[in-house]
Amino acid sequence: MLAVVRSELTRLLQPRFLLIWFGLVALFAAMVNTIMVTFVSGGGSLPPGAPGVAFPSLAEMESPSGLMAGLAAAANLFGVVTLSLWATTTAADYSSGLIRLLVAAEPRRWPLLAGKVGALLVVTAAATTVAAIVNVLAAVPAAAAAGISTAAWGTDLVEVIATAWLNLYLALCVWGVLGLVIAVLSRSAAVAIAIGVGYVLVVESLIKMVGDAPSDWLLGTTLSAVASGGSEAVAYGTALILALGYVTLGLVTAGVVVVRRDVTD
Amino acid sequence: MSVVTTTGLTRRFGPITALDRLTVELPAAGVIGLVGPNGSGKSTLIRILLGLIRPTGGSASVLGSTIGSPRSYASRVGVLIESPAFIPGLSARANLVSLARLRRIPLERVDAVLVQVGLMGRDREPVKRFSVGMKQRLGIAAALLSDPELLVLDEPTNGLDPAGIVEIRELLRDLGRNGRTVIVSSHQLSEIEAVCDHLVVIRFGELVFSGPMTEVLKRTREHVDIAPEHTADVGRLQAALSSAGWAVTAVDDVLRVAAGADRAADLNRAAAGAGITLSRLIVTQDSLEEIFLEMTGRVDGELANGRAAVPGRVA
Repeated sequence: MLAVVRSELTRLLQPRFLLIWFGLVALFAAMVNTIMVTFVSGGGSLPPGAPGVAFPSLAEMESPSGLMAGLAAAANLFGVVTLSLWATTTAADYSSGLIRLLVAAEPRRWPLLAGKVGALLVVTAAATTVAAIVNVLAAVPAAAAAGISTAAWGTDLVEVIATAWLNLYLALCVWGVLGLVIAVLSRSAAVAIAIGVGYVLVVESLIKMVGDAPSDWLLGTTLSAVASGGSEAVAYGTALILALGYVTLGLVTAGVVVVRRDVTD
Repeated sequence: MSVVTTTGLTRRFGPITALDRLTVELPAAGVIGLVGPNGSGKSTLIRILLGLIRPTGGSASVLGSTIGSPRSYASRVGVLIESPAFIPGLSARANLVSLARLRRIPLERVDAVLVQVGLMGRDREPVKRFSVGMKQRLGIAAALLSDPELLVLDEPTNGLDPAGIVEIRELLRDLGRNGRTVIVSSHQLSEIEAVCDHLVVIRFGELVFSGPMTEVLKRTREHVDIAPEHTADVGRLQAALSSAGWAVTAVDDVLRVAAGADRAADLNRAAAGAGITLSRLIVTQDSLEEIFLEMTGRVDGELANGRAAVPGRVA
Protein backbone atom coordinates (compact mmCIF):
# COMPACT_ATOMS: atom_id res chain seq x y z
CA MET A 1 0.00 0.00 0.00
CA LEU A 2 2.97 2.28 0.59
CA ALA A 3 3.62 2.24 -3.16
CA VAL A 4 0.09 3.48 -3.79
CA VAL A 5 0.50 6.26 -1.22
CA ARG A 6 3.77 7.39 -2.81
CA SER A 7 2.22 7.28 -6.26
CA GLU A 8 -0.80 9.31 -5.13
CA LEU A 9 1.42 11.84 -3.36
CA THR A 10 3.39 12.36 -6.57
CA ARG A 11 0.15 13.33 -8.30
CA LEU A 12 -1.17 15.40 -5.40
CA LEU A 13 1.93 17.51 -4.99
CA GLN A 14 1.06 19.82 -7.87
CA PRO A 15 1.88 23.43 -7.02
CA ARG A 16 -1.44 24.75 -8.35
CA PHE A 17 -3.50 22.17 -6.47
CA LEU A 18 -1.65 22.81 -3.20
CA LEU A 19 -1.80 26.56 -3.72
CA ILE A 20 -5.59 26.41 -4.04
CA TRP A 21 -5.99 24.11 -1.04
CA PHE A 22 -3.57 25.84 1.31
CA GLY A 23 -4.50 29.28 0.00
CA LEU A 24 -8.19 28.78 0.76
CA VAL A 25 -7.40 27.37 4.18
CA ALA A 26 -5.11 30.32 4.95
CA LEU A 27 -7.68 32.79 3.65
CA PHE A 28 -10.48 31.35 5.80
CA ALA A 29 -8.22 31.13 8.87
CA ALA A 30 -7.29 34.80 8.57
CA MET A 31 -10.79 35.93 7.65
CA VAL A 32 -12.66 34.04 10.36
CA ASN A 33 -10.17 35.15 13.01
CA THR A 34 -10.62 38.77 12.10
CA ILE A 35 -14.41 38.55 11.95
CA MET A 36 -14.60 36.46 15.11
CA VAL A 37 -12.44 38.78 17.19
CA THR A 38 -14.34 41.85 16.02
CA PHE A 39 -17.64 40.10 16.65
CA VAL A 40 -16.74 38.80 20.12
CA SER A 41 -15.17 42.07 21.30
CA GLY A 42 -18.37 43.86 20.25
CA GLY A 43 -20.48 41.57 22.42
CA GLY A 44 -22.36 40.07 19.49
CA SER A 45 -23.97 36.64 19.45
CA LEU A 46 -24.73 34.39 16.50
CA PRO A 47 -28.28 33.37 15.68
CA PRO A 48 -29.10 29.82 16.75
CA GLY A 49 -28.69 27.22 14.03
CA ALA A 50 -26.13 29.15 12.02
CA PRO A 51 -24.63 26.56 9.68
CA GLY A 52 -21.66 25.09 11.46
CA VAL A 53 -20.31 28.35 12.85
CA ALA A 54 -19.61 28.61 16.57
CA PHE A 55 -17.96 31.76 17.94
CA PRO A 56 -16.63 31.68 21.52
CA SER A 57 -17.58 34.08 24.29
CA LEU A 58 -15.24 36.89 25.34
CA ALA A 59 -14.21 34.89 28.43
CA GLU A 60 -13.35 31.91 26.28
CA MET A 61 -11.39 34.14 23.90
CA GLU A 62 -9.31 35.46 26.78
CA SER A 63 -8.61 31.97 28.17
CA PRO A 64 -5.47 30.01 27.13
CA SER A 65 -7.45 28.17 24.43
CA GLY A 66 -8.62 31.50 22.97
CA LEU A 67 -5.51 31.60 20.78
CA MET A 68 -6.80 28.65 18.73
CA ALA A 69 -10.53 29.43 18.92
CA GLY A 70 -10.47 30.58 15.29
CA LEU A 71 -9.64 27.09 14.10
CA ALA A 72 -12.79 25.62 15.62
CA ALA A 73 -14.87 28.59 14.45
CA ALA A 74 -13.75 28.09 10.85
CA ALA A 75 -13.82 24.30 11.04
CA ASN A 76 -16.78 23.83 8.75
CA LEU A 77 -15.38 26.25 6.17
CA PHE A 78 -12.13 24.26 6.23
CA GLY A 79 -14.33 21.18 6.02
CA VAL A 80 -16.03 22.34 2.85
CA VAL A 81 -12.64 23.09 1.29
CA THR A 82 -11.37 19.65 2.31
CA LEU A 83 -14.48 17.91 1.00
CA SER A 84 -14.17 19.76 -2.30
CA LEU A 85 -10.51 18.94 -2.84
CA TRP A 86 -10.80 15.29 -1.83
CA ALA A 87 -13.78 15.05 -4.20
CA THR A 88 -11.94 16.86 -7.00
CA THR A 89 -8.89 14.64 -6.88
CA THR A 90 -10.98 11.47 -6.60
CA ALA A 91 -13.35 12.37 -9.42
CA ALA A 92 -10.40 13.41 -11.62
CA ASP A 93 -9.25 9.79 -11.68
CA TYR A 94 -12.53 8.90 -13.35
CA SER A 95 -12.96 11.96 -15.59
CA SER A 96 -9.40 11.71 -16.92
CA GLY A 97 -9.61 7.96 -17.44
CA LEU A 98 -6.60 7.52 -15.16
CA ILE A 99 -8.54 4.96 -13.13
CA ARG A 100 -8.15 2.51 -16.04
CA LEU A 101 -4.37 2.75 -15.85
CA LEU A 102 -4.39 2.56 -12.06
CA VAL A 103 -6.56 -0.55 -11.90
CA ALA A 104 -4.62 -2.21 -14.71
CA ALA A 105 -1.39 -1.53 -12.78
CA GLU A 106 -2.77 -2.47 -9.35
CA PRO A 107 -5.76 -4.77 -9.78
CA ARG A 108 -6.35 -5.00 -6.02
CA ARG A 109 -8.75 -2.11 -5.67
CA TRP A 110 -8.91 -1.92 -1.86
CA PRO A 111 -5.23 -0.96 -1.59
CA LEU A 112 -5.78 1.58 -4.39
CA LEU A 113 -8.53 3.22 -2.36
CA ALA A 114 -6.63 2.94 0.91
CA GLY A 115 -3.52 4.43 -0.70
CA LYS A 116 -5.49 7.38 -2.03
CA VAL A 117 -7.00 7.99 1.41
CA GLY A 118 -3.54 7.68 2.98
CA ALA A 119 -2.03 10.26 0.62
CA LEU A 120 -4.93 12.65 1.10
CA LEU A 121 -4.58 12.30 4.87
CA VAL A 122 -0.96 13.42 4.56
CA VAL A 123 -1.88 16.52 2.54
CA THR A 124 -4.80 17.22 4.87
CA ALA A 125 -2.35 17.17 7.78
CA ALA A 126 -0.26 19.76 5.95
CA ALA A 127 -3.36 21.88 5.26
CA THR A 128 -4.32 21.67 8.94
CA THR A 129 -0.84 22.86 9.85
CA VAL A 130 -1.16 25.78 7.45
CA ALA A 131 -4.50 26.65 9.06
CA ALA A 132 -2.97 26.49 12.55
CA ILE A 133 -0.01 28.67 11.62
CA VAL A 134 -2.15 31.30 9.87
CA ASN A 135 -4.58 31.18 12.79
CA VAL A 136 -1.81 32.02 15.27
CA LEU A 137 -0.38 34.72 13.01
CA ALA A 138 -3.83 36.29 12.54
CA ALA A 139 -5.22 35.88 16.04
CA VAL A 140 -2.56 37.81 17.93
CA PRO A 141 -2.73 41.13 16.01
CA ALA A 142 -6.52 40.83 15.60
CA ALA A 143 -6.99 40.40 19.36
CA ALA A 144 -4.63 43.26 20.11
CA ALA A 145 -6.49 45.52 17.70
CA ALA A 146 -9.86 44.56 19.21
CA GLY A 147 -8.67 45.05 22.78
CA ILE A 148 -9.01 41.40 23.78
CA SER A 149 -6.58 40.37 26.51
CA THR A 150 -4.03 37.83 25.35
CA ALA A 151 -2.24 37.53 28.71
CA ALA A 152 -3.34 33.90 29.17
CA TRP A 153 -2.51 32.79 25.63
CA GLY A 154 0.97 31.62 26.50
CA THR A 155 -0.26 29.15 29.13
CA ASP A 156 0.06 25.50 28.06
CA LEU A 157 0.83 26.81 24.60
CA VAL A 158 2.02 23.54 23.04
CA GLU A 159 -0.88 21.56 24.48
CA VAL A 160 -3.42 24.14 23.32
CA ILE A 161 -2.01 24.24 19.79
CA ALA A 162 -1.61 20.45 19.55
CA THR A 163 -5.14 19.80 20.81
CA ALA A 164 -6.68 22.33 18.43
CA TRP A 165 -4.64 20.94 15.54
CA LEU A 166 -5.64 17.35 16.31
CA ASN A 167 -9.33 18.16 16.73
CA LEU A 168 -9.44 20.10 13.48
CA TYR A 169 -7.47 17.39 11.68
CA LEU A 170 -9.88 14.66 12.81
CA ALA A 171 -12.87 16.72 11.68
CA LEU A 172 -11.28 17.48 8.31
CA CYS A 173 -10.49 13.81 7.73
CA VAL A 174 -14.19 13.01 8.07
CA TRP A 175 -15.08 15.87 5.73
CA GLY A 176 -12.56 14.56 3.24
CA VAL A 177 -13.85 11.00 3.40
CA LEU A 178 -17.34 12.34 2.76
CA GLY A 179 -16.07 14.12 -0.38
CA LEU A 180 -14.27 10.97 -1.52
CA VAL A 181 -17.33 8.79 -1.03
CA ILE A 182 -19.66 11.08 -2.95
CA ALA A 183 -17.05 11.44 -5.73
CA VAL A 184 -16.65 7.66 -5.97
CA LEU A 185 -20.42 7.26 -6.19
CA SER A 186 -21.02 10.12 -8.62
CA ARG A 187 -17.65 10.08 -10.46
CA SER A 188 -18.08 13.86 -10.67
CA ALA A 189 -16.34 16.52 -8.61
CA ALA A 190 -19.07 19.07 -9.31
CA VAL A 191 -21.82 16.73 -8.12
CA ALA A 192 -19.82 15.74 -5.05
CA ILE A 193 -19.14 19.33 -4.07
CA ALA A 194 -22.73 20.38 -4.71
CA ILE A 195 -24.08 17.54 -2.58
CA GLY A 196 -21.57 18.08 0.24
CA VAL A 197 -21.88 21.84 0.46
CA GLY A 198 -25.61 21.77 -0.22
CA TYR A 199 -26.10 19.33 2.61
CA VAL A 200 -24.20 21.38 5.18
CA LEU A 201 -25.47 24.79 4.19
CA VAL A 202 -29.03 23.90 3.29
CA VAL A 203 -30.24 20.45 4.35
CA GLU A 204 -28.67 20.39 7.80
CA SER A 205 -29.73 23.97 8.52
CA LEU A 206 -33.29 23.13 7.48
CA ILE A 207 -33.34 20.08 9.75
CA LYS A 208 -32.08 22.20 12.64
CA MET A 209 -34.79 24.77 12.00
CA VAL A 210 -37.47 22.13 12.51
CA GLY A 211 -38.04 22.75 16.19
CA ASP A 212 -38.28 19.28 17.73
CA ALA A 213 -36.08 17.41 15.31
CA PRO A 214 -33.05 15.93 17.08
CA SER A 215 -29.95 17.34 15.36
CA ASP A 216 -27.08 16.33 17.64
CA TRP A 217 -26.06 13.47 15.35
CA LEU A 218 -26.00 15.49 12.13
CA LEU A 219 -22.72 15.52 10.26
CA GLY A 220 -21.99 19.24 10.42
CA THR A 221 -22.94 19.45 14.11
CA THR A 222 -20.87 16.38 14.90
CA LEU A 223 -17.78 17.58 13.06
CA SER A 224 -18.09 21.04 14.50
CA ALA A 225 -18.11 19.43 17.95
CA VAL A 226 -15.04 17.34 17.08
CA ALA A 227 -13.18 20.43 15.88
CA SER A 228 -14.17 22.36 19.03
CA GLY A 229 -13.23 19.53 21.38
CA GLY A 230 -16.93 19.08 22.25
CA SER A 231 -19.86 21.47 22.27
CA GLU A 232 -23.01 22.16 24.27
CA ALA A 233 -24.96 19.99 21.85
CA VAL A 234 -22.54 17.06 21.57
CA ALA A 235 -19.89 15.90 24.04
CA TYR A 236 -16.42 15.33 22.59
CA GLY A 237 -16.48 11.55 23.13
CA THR A 238 -19.90 11.22 21.55
CA ALA A 239 -18.81 13.37 18.62
CA LEU A 240 -15.73 11.21 18.07
CA ILE A 241 -17.80 8.01 18.11
CA LEU A 242 -20.31 9.50 15.68
CA ALA A 243 -17.50 10.73 13.43
CA LEU A 244 -15.92 7.28 13.50
CA GLY A 245 -19.27 5.83 12.49
CA TYR A 246 -19.57 8.26 9.56
CA VAL A 247 -16.03 7.45 8.40
CA THR A 248 -16.54 3.69 8.67
CA LEU A 249 -19.83 3.82 6.81
CA GLY A 250 -18.35 6.07 4.14
CA LEU A 251 -15.21 4.03 3.57
CA VAL A 252 -17.08 0.73 3.47
CA THR A 253 -19.52 2.18 0.94
CA ALA A 254 -16.71 3.61 -1.20
CA GLY A 255 -14.74 0.37 -0.89
CA VAL A 256 -17.61 -1.84 -1.99
CA VAL A 257 -18.36 0.44 -4.95
CA VAL A 258 -14.72 0.69 -6.04
CA VAL A 259 -14.18 -3.07 -5.76
CA ARG A 260 -17.39 -4.20 -7.40
CA ARG A 261 -18.07 -1.61 -10.06
CA ASP A 262 -16.82 -2.04 -13.62
CA VAL A 263 -14.14 0.36 -14.72
CA THR A 264 -15.57 1.69 -17.94
CA ASP A 265 -15.44 5.41 -18.75
CA MET B 1 2.50 -21.05 -26.61
CA SER B 2 -0.50 -18.73 -26.21
CA VAL B 3 -0.20 -15.41 -24.46
CA VAL B 4 -3.97 -14.99 -24.22
CA THR B 5 -6.59 -17.72 -24.25
CA THR B 6 -10.32 -17.21 -24.02
CA THR B 7 -12.94 -19.95 -23.85
CA GLY B 8 -16.59 -19.09 -24.36
CA LEU B 9 -15.93 -15.60 -23.03
CA THR B 10 -19.18 -13.70 -22.72
CA ARG B 11 -20.07 -10.26 -21.45
CA ARG B 12 -23.52 -8.77 -21.45
CA PHE B 13 -24.50 -5.20 -20.58
CA GLY B 14 -28.20 -5.51 -19.91
CA PRO B 15 -29.79 -6.55 -23.21
CA ILE B 16 -26.59 -5.98 -25.17
CA THR B 17 -24.18 -8.85 -25.70
CA ALA B 18 -20.78 -7.27 -26.13
CA LEU B 19 -18.88 -10.55 -26.23
CA ASP B 20 -20.62 -13.71 -27.30
CA ARG B 21 -18.89 -16.97 -26.33
CA LEU B 22 -15.56 -15.80 -27.74
CA THR B 23 -12.98 -18.53 -27.97
CA VAL B 24 -9.57 -17.53 -29.25
CA GLU B 25 -5.88 -18.11 -28.66
CA LEU B 26 -3.33 -15.40 -29.29
CA PRO B 27 0.23 -16.56 -29.95
CA ALA B 28 3.16 -15.26 -27.93
CA ALA B 29 5.76 -12.95 -29.49
CA GLY B 30 4.96 -10.70 -32.39
CA VAL B 31 2.38 -8.05 -33.14
CA ILE B 32 -1.28 -9.06 -33.10
CA GLY B 33 -3.93 -6.90 -34.73
CA LEU B 34 -7.34 -6.83 -33.08
CA VAL B 35 -9.89 -5.39 -35.47
CA GLY B 36 -13.63 -5.21 -35.80
CA PRO B 37 -16.33 -2.66 -36.55
CA ASN B 38 -17.50 -0.20 -33.90
CA GLY B 39 -19.33 -2.08 -31.17
CA SER B 40 -17.72 -5.38 -32.07
CA GLY B 41 -16.46 -5.98 -28.53
CA LYS B 42 -12.75 -5.18 -28.91
CA SER B 43 -12.59 -2.80 -25.97
CA THR B 44 -14.76 -5.08 -23.86
CA LEU B 45 -12.34 -7.94 -24.54
CA ILE B 46 -9.35 -5.77 -23.62
CA ARG B 47 -11.02 -4.56 -20.44
CA ILE B 48 -11.85 -8.09 -19.34
CA LEU B 49 -8.29 -9.24 -19.98
CA LEU B 50 -6.96 -6.34 -17.89
CA GLY B 51 -9.34 -6.98 -15.00
CA LEU B 52 -11.25 -3.73 -15.46
CA ILE B 53 -14.56 -5.51 -15.97
CA ARG B 54 -15.68 -9.03 -15.26
CA PRO B 55 -17.10 -11.47 -17.78
CA THR B 56 -20.63 -12.79 -17.36
CA GLY B 57 -19.58 -16.17 -18.71
CA GLY B 58 -16.65 -18.23 -19.94
CA SER B 59 -13.04 -18.05 -18.91
CA ALA B 60 -9.77 -16.53 -20.02
CA SER B 61 -6.13 -16.51 -19.14
CA VAL B 62 -3.36 -13.99 -19.71
CA LEU B 63 0.31 -15.02 -19.63
CA GLY B 64 -0.76 -18.32 -18.13
CA SER B 65 -2.79 -16.87 -15.25
CA THR B 66 -6.55 -16.78 -15.03
CA ILE B 67 -8.21 -13.39 -15.36
CA GLY B 68 -9.73 -13.99 -11.93
CA SER B 69 -6.34 -13.05 -10.45
CA PRO B 70 -5.11 -10.15 -12.60
CA ARG B 71 -2.55 -9.23 -9.98
CA SER B 72 -0.50 -12.26 -10.97
CA TYR B 73 0.12 -10.84 -14.44
CA ALA B 74 -0.51 -7.08 -14.08
CA SER B 75 3.18 -6.26 -13.62
CA ARG B 76 3.98 -8.07 -16.88
CA VAL B 77 1.42 -6.19 -18.95
CA GLY B 78 1.61 -2.63 -20.32
CA VAL B 79 -1.52 -0.89 -21.50
CA LEU B 80 -2.71 2.08 -23.49
CA ILE B 81 -6.47 1.95 -23.29
CA GLU B 82 -8.44 4.34 -25.44
CA SER B 83 -7.06 7.86 -25.06
CA PRO B 84 -3.95 8.39 -22.92
CA ALA B 85 -4.95 9.34 -19.36
CA PHE B 86 -2.73 11.68 -17.38
CA ILE B 87 -2.93 14.50 -14.86
CA PRO B 88 -2.79 17.58 -17.13
CA GLY B 89 -1.15 19.88 -14.59
CA LEU B 90 1.74 17.50 -13.98
CA SER B 91 4.78 17.16 -16.19
CA ALA B 92 5.21 14.11 -18.39
CA ARG B 93 8.00 12.95 -16.11
CA ALA B 94 5.94 13.36 -12.92
CA ASN B 95 3.08 11.41 -14.47
CA LEU B 96 5.43 8.57 -15.34
CA VAL B 97 7.12 8.72 -11.92
CA SER B 98 3.70 8.39 -10.31
CA LEU B 99 2.96 5.27 -12.35
CA ALA B 100 6.45 3.88 -11.73
CA ARG B 101 5.98 4.26 -7.98
CA LEU B 102 2.61 2.54 -8.15
CA ARG B 103 4.16 -0.41 -9.96
CA ARG B 104 7.37 -0.37 -7.90
CA ILE B 105 9.45 0.18 -11.02
CA PRO B 106 12.95 1.72 -10.67
CA LEU B 107 12.82 5.38 -11.71
CA GLU B 108 15.64 4.80 -14.22
CA ARG B 109 12.98 3.22 -16.45
CA VAL B 110 11.28 6.63 -16.70
CA ASP B 111 14.31 8.04 -18.53
CA ALA B 112 14.56 4.94 -20.69
CA VAL B 113 10.97 5.08 -21.93
CA LEU B 114 11.10 8.85 -22.44
CA VAL B 115 14.05 8.31 -24.77
CA GLN B 116 12.32 5.36 -26.42
CA VAL B 117 9.26 7.42 -27.43
CA GLY B 118 11.21 10.59 -28.25
CA LEU B 119 9.92 12.75 -25.40
CA MET B 120 13.19 13.33 -23.58
CA GLY B 121 13.75 17.08 -23.53
CA ARG B 122 10.03 17.83 -23.32
CA ASP B 123 9.54 15.68 -20.23
CA ARG B 124 9.36 18.56 -17.74
CA GLU B 125 6.54 20.34 -19.54
CA PRO B 126 3.01 19.94 -18.20
CA VAL B 127 0.98 17.41 -20.14
CA LYS B 128 -1.73 20.00 -20.78
CA ARG B 129 0.66 21.73 -23.21
CA PHE B 130 1.18 18.52 -25.20
CA SER B 131 -0.31 17.92 -28.63
CA VAL B 132 -2.47 14.84 -29.21
CA GLY B 133 0.52 13.10 -30.75
CA MET B 134 2.78 13.87 -27.80
CA LYS B 135 0.14 12.61 -25.37
CA GLN B 136 -0.03 9.47 -27.46
CA ARG B 137 3.73 9.04 -27.18
CA LEU B 138 3.46 9.54 -23.43
CA GLY B 139 0.72 6.91 -23.30
CA ILE B 140 2.99 4.47 -25.08
CA ALA B 141 5.82 5.39 -22.70
CA ALA B 142 3.54 4.58 -19.74
CA ALA B 143 2.71 1.23 -21.32
CA LEU B 144 6.40 0.45 -21.80
CA LEU B 145 7.35 1.48 -18.27
CA SER B 146 7.37 -2.00 -16.76
CA ASP B 147 9.25 -3.44 -19.77
CA PRO B 148 6.24 -5.74 -20.19
CA GLU B 149 6.00 -9.12 -21.85
CA LEU B 150 2.59 -8.18 -23.19
CA LEU B 151 1.61 -4.75 -24.49
CA VAL B 152 -2.01 -3.91 -25.16
CA LEU B 153 -2.35 -0.75 -27.22
CA ASP B 154 -5.61 0.80 -28.32
CA GLU B 155 -5.13 2.98 -31.43
CA PRO B 156 -1.42 3.60 -30.71
CA THR B 157 -0.82 5.88 -33.70
CA ASN B 158 -3.86 8.05 -33.08
CA GLY B 159 -2.94 11.72 -33.50
CA LEU B 160 0.61 11.09 -34.70
CA ASP B 161 1.98 12.77 -37.80
CA PRO B 162 3.28 10.56 -40.66
CA ALA B 163 6.84 10.56 -39.32
CA GLY B 164 5.56 9.69 -35.85
CA ILE B 165 3.46 6.85 -37.26
CA VAL B 166 6.48 5.35 -38.99
CA GLU B 167 8.52 5.73 -35.78
CA ILE B 168 5.93 4.02 -33.59
CA ARG B 169 5.39 1.35 -36.23
CA GLU B 170 9.11 0.56 -36.09
CA LEU B 171 9.01 0.51 -32.29
CA LEU B 172 6.14 -1.98 -32.29
CA ARG B 173 7.87 -4.17 -34.87
CA ASP B 174 11.07 -4.14 -32.79
CA LEU B 175 9.17 -5.11 -29.67
CA GLY B 176 7.52 -7.99 -31.52
CA ARG B 177 10.83 -9.15 -32.97
CA ASN B 178 12.43 -9.05 -29.52
CA GLY B 179 10.03 -11.57 -28.06
CA ARG B 180 7.35 -9.21 -26.72
CA THR B 181 3.72 -9.70 -27.62
CA VAL B 182 1.97 -6.52 -28.75
CA ILE B 183 -1.79 -6.50 -29.19
CA VAL B 184 -2.84 -3.53 -31.29
CA SER B 185 -6.49 -2.62 -31.48
CA SER B 186 -7.07 -0.23 -34.35
CA HIS B 187 -9.43 0.94 -37.03
CA GLN B 188 -6.52 1.93 -39.23
CA LEU B 189 -6.26 -1.22 -41.29
CA SER B 190 -3.27 0.02 -43.25
CA GLU B 191 -1.44 0.24 -39.92
CA ILE B 192 -2.52 -3.25 -38.95
CA GLU B 193 -1.41 -4.59 -42.33
CA ALA B 194 1.96 -2.85 -42.04
CA VAL B 195 2.76 -3.97 -38.51
CA CYS B 196 0.96 -7.16 -37.52
CA ASP B 197 2.03 -10.76 -37.77
CA HIS B 198 -1.31 -12.13 -36.62
CA LEU B 199 -4.85 -10.87 -37.08
CA VAL B 200 -7.97 -11.32 -34.96
CA VAL B 201 -11.27 -10.10 -36.38
CA ILE B 202 -14.37 -9.94 -34.21
CA ARG B 203 -17.87 -8.79 -35.01
CA PHE B 204 -20.87 -8.58 -32.69
CA GLY B 205 -18.63 -10.10 -30.01
CA GLU B 206 -18.03 -13.22 -32.07
CA LEU B 207 -14.79 -14.42 -33.58
CA VAL B 208 -14.71 -13.99 -37.34
CA PHE B 209 -11.07 -14.80 -37.98
CA SER B 210 -7.88 -15.52 -36.07
CA GLY B 211 -4.70 -16.45 -37.87
CA PRO B 212 -1.41 -15.28 -39.32
CA MET B 213 -1.50 -12.14 -41.43
CA THR B 214 0.01 -14.13 -44.31
CA GLU B 215 -3.10 -16.31 -44.30
CA VAL B 216 -5.30 -13.21 -44.53
CA LEU B 217 -3.28 -11.80 -47.35
CA LYS B 218 -3.66 -15.10 -49.23
CA ARG B 219 -7.31 -14.21 -49.46
CA THR B 220 -6.51 -11.21 -51.58
CA ARG B 221 -7.65 -11.47 -55.17
CA GLU B 222 -6.28 -9.75 -58.18
CA HIS B 223 -8.54 -7.78 -60.45
CA VAL B 224 -8.10 -5.51 -63.39
CA ASP B 225 -9.51 -2.01 -63.52
CA ILE B 226 -10.18 -0.82 -67.04
CA ALA B 227 -11.64 2.33 -68.53
CA PRO B 228 -12.62 2.99 -72.18
CA GLU B 229 -11.20 5.99 -74.00
CA HIS B 230 -14.72 7.45 -74.28
CA THR B 231 -16.86 7.22 -71.15
CA ALA B 232 -19.96 6.78 -73.32
CA ASP B 233 -18.60 3.30 -74.15
CA VAL B 234 -18.65 2.05 -70.54
CA GLY B 235 -22.01 0.32 -70.90
CA ARG B 236 -21.15 -1.23 -74.26
CA LEU B 237 -17.79 -2.49 -72.94
CA GLN B 238 -19.41 -4.00 -69.86
CA ALA B 239 -21.98 -5.80 -71.99
CA ALA B 240 -19.34 -7.11 -74.40
CA LEU B 241 -17.11 -8.44 -71.61
CA SER B 242 -19.99 -9.95 -69.69
CA SER B 243 -21.23 -11.77 -72.76
CA ALA B 244 -17.71 -13.11 -73.25
CA GLY B 245 -17.83 -14.64 -69.75
CA TRP B 246 -15.86 -12.05 -67.74
CA ALA B 247 -17.13 -11.09 -64.26
CA VAL B 248 -17.46 -7.31 -64.50
CA THR B 249 -18.66 -4.68 -62.07
CA ALA B 250 -18.92 -0.99 -62.83
CA VAL B 251 -17.45 1.52 -60.39
CA ASP B 252 -18.29 4.96 -61.77
CA ASP B 253 -16.54 5.16 -65.18
CA VAL B 254 -14.24 2.26 -64.41
CA LEU B 255 -14.98 -1.41 -64.89
CA ARG B 256 -13.52 -3.85 -62.37
CA VAL B 257 -12.90 -7.26 -63.91
CA ALA B 258 -12.21 -10.31 -61.74
CA ALA B 259 -9.01 -11.47 -63.38
CA GLY B 260 -5.31 -11.72 -62.68
CA ALA B 261 -2.38 -10.05 -64.38
CA ASP B 262 -2.01 -13.09 -66.66
CA ARG B 263 -5.39 -12.28 -68.31
CA ALA B 264 -4.73 -8.58 -68.85
CA ALA B 265 -3.72 -9.04 -72.48
CA ASP B 266 -6.84 -11.17 -73.18
CA LEU B 267 -8.94 -8.44 -71.65
CA ASN B 268 -7.33 -5.81 -73.83
CA ARG B 269 -7.93 -7.97 -76.92
CA ALA B 270 -11.58 -8.49 -75.96
CA ALA B 271 -12.09 -4.73 -75.67
CA ALA B 272 -10.37 -4.16 -79.01
CA GLY B 273 -12.57 -6.91 -80.51
CA ALA B 274 -15.60 -4.89 -79.44
CA GLY B 275 -14.11 -1.84 -81.15
CA ILE B 276 -13.23 -0.05 -77.92
CA THR B 277 -9.84 1.42 -77.09
CA LEU B 278 -8.84 1.31 -73.43
CA SER B 279 -7.39 4.42 -71.82
CA ARG B 280 -6.60 2.62 -68.57
CA LEU B 281 -5.70 -0.97 -67.63
CA ILE B 282 -4.41 -1.48 -64.12
CA VAL B 283 -3.89 -4.74 -62.26
CA THR B 284 -4.68 -4.37 -58.53
CA GLN B 285 -5.19 -6.50 -55.41
CA ASP B 286 -7.82 -6.40 -52.66
CA SER B 287 -6.64 -4.32 -49.73
CA LEU B 288 -6.92 -5.54 -46.15
CA GLU B 289 -9.76 -3.06 -45.87
CA GLU B 290 -11.71 -4.87 -48.58
CA ILE B 291 -11.04 -8.25 -46.99
CA PHE B 292 -12.08 -6.84 -43.64
CA LEU B 293 -15.32 -5.46 -45.05
CA GLU B 294 -16.02 -8.79 -46.68
CA MET B 295 -15.40 -10.60 -43.37
CA THR B 296 -17.48 -8.23 -41.29
CA GLY B 297 -20.29 -7.74 -43.75
CA ARG B 298 -19.82 -4.00 -44.36
CA VAL B 299 -21.78 -3.01 -41.28
CA ASP B 300 -21.32 -0.53 -38.48
CA GLY B 301 -21.58 -2.81 -35.49
CA GLU B 302 -23.18 -0.17 -33.30
CA LEU B 303 -25.99 0.47 -35.71
CA ALA B 304 -26.64 -2.92 -37.23
CA ASN B 305 -29.46 -5.22 -36.17
CA GLY B 306 -30.68 -2.88 -33.47
CA ARG B 307 -27.60 -3.56 -31.37
CA ALA B 308 -27.16 0.09 -30.50
CA ALA B 309 -24.10 0.44 -28.34
CA VAL B 310 -24.16 1.87 -24.87
CA PRO B 311 -21.67 4.76 -24.80
CA GLY B 312 -18.67 3.85 -22.75
CA ARG B 313 -19.55 0.22 -22.55
CA VAL B 314 -19.39 -1.51 -25.83
CA ALA B 315 -16.81 -0.31 -28.27
